[in-house]
Amino acid sequence: MTTTSTVAARRASGLVVLCALLAVAAFLSIAQGSRSIDLSEVLRALGSLGGDGTINSTVTVELRVPRTLLGILVGAALGVAGAILQGVTRNPLADAGIMGINSGAAASVVFAITVLGIHGVEFYVWFAFAGAIGATVLVYSIASMGREGATPVKLALAGAAVTAGFGSLTSAIVMTDIDALNELRFWQVGSLAGRYAPILIGVAPFLLAGLAVSLGCGRALNGLALGEDLARGLGQRVALTRAAAFGVVALLAGAATAACGPIVFIGLVVPHLARFLCGPDYRWILPYSMLLAPIVLLLADVLGRVAGAPGELQVGVVLAVLCAPVFVGIVRYARLAEVGP
Amino acid sequence: MHERAASSSRHIPRLNGSALISFGIKPVGIYTDEPVKTDPNLKDLDLTGITVLGEEWGKIDVEKAASLAPDLIVGDWWPAEKAYSGLEEGVDEKSKKLKELAPIVGISQGESIVDLAEGYENLAKSLGAKVDDPKVAANKQRFEAAVTAFKTATAAKPGLTAAAMAPSDENLSIANPKYAPELLDFQRWGLKVINPERPDPSFPYWETISWENADKYQPDLILWDSRVFTPTVNAEYGKKQPTWFKVKAAKAGAAVSWPGYWLHTYGDFAVELEKLTTAISAADENVGN
Repeated sequence: MTTTSTVAARRASGLVVLCALLAVAAFLSIAQGSRSIDLSEVLRALGSLGGDGTINSTVTVELRVPRTLLGILVGAALGVAGAILQGVTRNPLADAGIMGINSGAAASVVFAITVLGIHGVEFYVWFAFAGAIGATVLVYSIASMGREGATPVKLALAGAAVTAGFGSLTSAIVMTDIDALNELRFWQVGSLAGRYAPILIGVAPFLLAGLAVSLGCGRALNGLALGEDLARGLGQRVALTRAAAFGVVALLAGAATAACGPIVFIGLVVPHLARFLCGPDYRWILPYSMLLAPIVLLLADVLGRVAGAPGELQVGVVLAVLCAPVFVGIVRYARLAEVGP
Repeated sequence: MHERAASSSRHIPRLNGSALISFGIKPVGIYTDEPVKTDPNLKDLDLTGITVLGEEWGKIDVEKAASLAPDLIVGDWWPAEKAYSGLEEGVDEKSKKLKELAPIVGISQGESIVDLAEGYENLAKSLGAKVDDPKVAANKQRFEAAVTAFKTATAAKPGLTAAAMAPSDENLSIANPKYAPELLDFQRWGLKVINPERPDPSFPYWETISWENADKYQPDLILWDSRVFTPTVNAEYGKKQPTWFKVKAAKAGAAVSWPGYWLHTYGDFAVELEKLTTAISAADENVGN
């Protein structure tokens, strides 16, 4: 028979193990890639930071380190955003994608390319971010209309409607502008390639703030997971909780999508893995997701870089290939519908 | 490897019979790969009375084309894709219905721009155009002089190597001369254009490498895809891609616009060759490896 404290101890030691795994994944992401660099050179480059001017040290310090840090932050953000969304909407299939975030970001990027004539991933970031935030606000406002507020069903419907709306807008523009299509096509796969220190520094404050706030959401999500009436009965201010949770998601998924394009499956699959490992308590699901997601993202990215050498496979492609069967497995064997405790 | 094809396809414009316009043949319509205003093939040509059927790769207004009732459609043949311009893989299915309107002819983007220039001249003649215009002869003469100058310049620098490149945000593409007739011409005329080791299997116009491997090829002179070349682009990439200046020629600023995949006439080729000859004469053959 296990007591509450031994369960907590087991969950906490799980977190420690995940931290160690994340460190291993981060190390792999810096040591491995489409260029093969001797481990001793990698370590020397890391030790001397700033590098010694050789391409191996430039690749290590200026390409792989920011890429890895971005992968950790973006992965964590997507994992946590997915967990929060699944909790708030009580929808086991919720992720940033179905809340309109990707489509809003894409529409905004296309707008930047075609109407404003802006090109280059370093500029897309801010348009994508604005689009993602805009879409989230729009979804939430539409779902909030009416007396009962933003219920899970209305959120899902509003998300689908906004996604379809932005999607057709994007297609309409892209149909008439092949250059926009080509640039969008690349952006839309989701990739960590070509993102260096400026983008990392640009989005890191938003991601860090969002992650910090998200860790405080566990209790509120546990309440919401019981159902609206019960949560209200327990004294929770449901509407306020939901709005706050959505704000955090907009920040996290918006900044992540802005930096790397829409990365699929992480936000959808990782919370289920977390739930499988630590049980239904959101106070644990959130930190578990926060660690599991970057592990998955970094490993998928390393795989794409090593398998694709001397080019690279985009992480979005690798994830789609890897995660689809995992997701099918979850659907088949786990009791997916039981999102609540 | 579809994503590589996607990433590179923008580098391949198609031109559709506009070479004939320079011989005085006025088509009823044209379709191009980029806005008519910026298409280098159409520069200085009189387009009045010609209906524009499409201004981007992969999109042709077939309904409009049908209303013009063409007798013949002219488009380059692309041996790597085994298709005429406008009918390649990736083109809109609706646009491909073009082929039902009339027979298609065109010269192959094969071994040499000279074949393209001669081919379109012969095609123009067979369609009844006057090819003995003194301007045509003058262009040919200018071209021959340009080739001689080019050969002299490359002979003076036997060690000079060049690579045709197209850098982008996510990766670096090195053109495969095998499918770029003008690069084959340059090789024929003494410029050592590097042949990439492993062209992308699905889209062999290029070898795509990651930015981590940017230093894989070290030419003395970079031939930069003209569709994305600007006088400041090298410096911009040096600033935003940490490894770009590990290509020594890039660091030395040895980059020149390369007329990739668009040349069809002696006149245009002559102008481009003259520019390249100047760049070759100014280049340092000890920059790269």
